[in-house]
Amino acid sequence: MRRTVLSAMALTCTALLAGITPAFADSTSPTSVPSPTATVPSATAVPTPSAAEPTTAPSTEPPREATPAPSAPSAEPTRAPDGGQVSVVPSGAPDTGVTAPTSDSGTERGGLIGGGAAAVLVAGGATAFVVRRRRTNGA
Amino acid sequence: MMPLSRRAFATAAMASLLVGCGGQGAEEGADAGSRRRRGAQTPEEGPPPSPSANSARTLGGSAPVRLQIPAIDVDTPLIRLGLAPDGTVQVPPITADDRAGWYRHSPTPGQVGPSVVLGHVTVGAYGDGVFRHLARLHRGDRIVARREDGTTAEFAVSTVRTVAKADFPADDVYGDVDRPELRLITCGGPRDGDEYRDNVIVFAELSATTR
Repeated sequence: MRRTVLSAMALTCTALLAGITPAFADSTSPTSVPSPTATVPSATAVPTPSAAEPTTAPSTEPPREATPAPSAPSAEPTRAPDGGQVSVVPSGAPDTGVTAPTSDSGTERGGLIGGGAAAVLVAGGATAFVVRRRRTNGA
Repeated sequence: MMPLSRRAFATAAMASLLVGCGGQGAEEGADAGSRRRRGAQTPEEGPPPSPSANSARTLGGSAPVRLQIPAIDVDTPLIRLGLAPDGTVQVPPITADDRAGWYRHSPTPGQVGPSVVLGHVTVGAYGDGVFRHLARLHRGDRIVARREDGTTAEFAVSTVRTVAKADFPADDVYGDVDRPELRLITCGGPRDGDEYRDNVIVFAELSATTR
């Protein structure tokens, strides 16, 4: 009888541990989430100047090449025209890709929750089965 | 008694294994997804555009309002982009309805010079960007820029290059040319942390203009 109780306890503990494992795995993924979402505001800060541009740009399209700075003085650094066909050459490479860790971690989380639930179900079923068998056998 | 106990522990071990597999499987799935995405970025084509006689008529200045690339199902309004405070080129905002943008310090499409259009490859949680499949373009593919004055400048892809951001070919992209050309720029290559390592740059030359 003591063995039955011990076995049942061991199974319950295993089931609990199994449930905890995905929780640990889950808690690590959000740490990666804030940094990308933190990058989003910086990117969403971009539309502010571009939203401001249409007020000046459509009407001032012809003088664009002559005076690039006044057309968006608040948003753009004052850089002298380079004199080429591209009047102001940007520095560095464009950053035109924002990765999507949120959706990935969502999938991951779903898998972990599913796995954890399956494990708990299996462990619970096994415990019930063992206890019932032992009761039947009179252990 | 003993066999039952073993069975119980075997079941418990199986349950633990299941959890492990579930978690890892999901991670592998995500990884495989990013690998698939990387796979789509690889195409790279030959040499820079060769100077060829172009019968298309050069157009005057008029800002582009729409860009169409039938080969990769792109049909996007164009916003205007300037410079970011750090001196880099502005990029379109991160929104669900991702749009491409024309760098307004470059010539308008159809004018002599390199007209520069930028778009995202992915827009974070919103998924694919407007230039998601830019790297799939091939020489000769058609690009149509509709302009504010109602005219249309049609371009043909001459080269698709994937280059490391660290070695961004500013001269090839922004340097002077003797005919109307178009540059489409997005990100590509493998991810390096939260960023893409490379830029995908499509070079195209004017093939036709319509009034």
